Amino acid sequence: MYVDLTADADREAEAAVWLDEEERGRWAAYPYSGPQRQFLLCRAALRATLCEQVGCANEALGFETSEHGKPSARVGGAEAPISFNVSHSGRHGLIAFAPDGLLGVDVEELAGRRNLDLLMDGVLGENERREIDSKEGDEQLRSFFRLWTMKEALLKAYGKGLLVDATTFEIPPVVRGGAPRGQLELPQLPGVTLQVEGIGGEDFAAALAREVVPEAGGEPAESR
Amino acid sequence: MAATEERLRKLVDDNLEIEGRAPGSPLDLERNISDAGVSSPDIVAFWKLVNEEFGVDISAEQFAELLTPAALIAYLDAA
Repeated sequence: MYVDLTADADREAEAAVWLDEEERGRWAAYPYSGPQRQFLLCRAALRATLCEQVGCANEALGFETSEHGKPSARVGGAEAPISFNVSHSGRHGLIAFAPDGLLGVDVEELAGRRNLDLLMDGVLGENERREIDSKEGDEQLRSFFRLWTMKEALLKAYGKGLLVDATTFEIPPVVRGGAPRGQLELPQLPGVTLQVEGIGGEDFAAALAREVVPEAGGEPAESR
Repeated sequence: MAATEERLRKLVDDNLEIEGRAPGSPLDLERNISDAGVSSPDIVAFWKLVNEEFGVDISAEQFAELLTPAALIAYLDAA
């Protein structure tokens, strides 16, 4: 699900109505306007969609956060039968939903970065770095953030995000070569197969990572 | 501590792009930068920049435990 995060006072006022008291406190405490707006619009969209998918009232919906910051939904105090994951960058927000299994999504606005070399050092494996170094300009930026979002989506599915050493694994060569999706196991999560898929748009890179659930014949559960 | 804080603030001012943050504004020492909405590329860049600026070799996993400026300053001052 795509969420437009462009500044818009009317939409932000409508979104604020969806937040509960704790979320309003969190929203008000954001020190910077960009992240504050991103949180508000994504949380309201998440609440509206979860209520529709689960069939509950907004007031019955709550959230719980894991030790590593990954939220999950609760309805009337019980775990909701749905997985979700949220990502935002600049004007773009994405929310992924699935009935069960590990799930991660990431989006990055394709804007030039002052520290692109440092970011590459921080997340790319040796082969990935060599391939990205062979490209230039806009092609390099797009290719890099395609890999970045795939790696972050995978690590968010794992439950931790990018402050795990992302250089310890590489995106499958077939996907680096242009295939839209592929499967791999993370060294941090042995025995679990994840599917990663590039889902970017014209001015953003994005990726979705889902656990391959064997009971479904090896295909990951459909996201909604 | 003040000198370390000032060097960190300058690293943020010179390198990170956080919508709504005015360059030169003070760091909230007790606030986790992830909870403040700093993006993942900015956090990864900040981690690498801290290693360069202070001549340390903090791993990604260690840095995940140092996401408040106060914790990071204490670590760097003790290094």
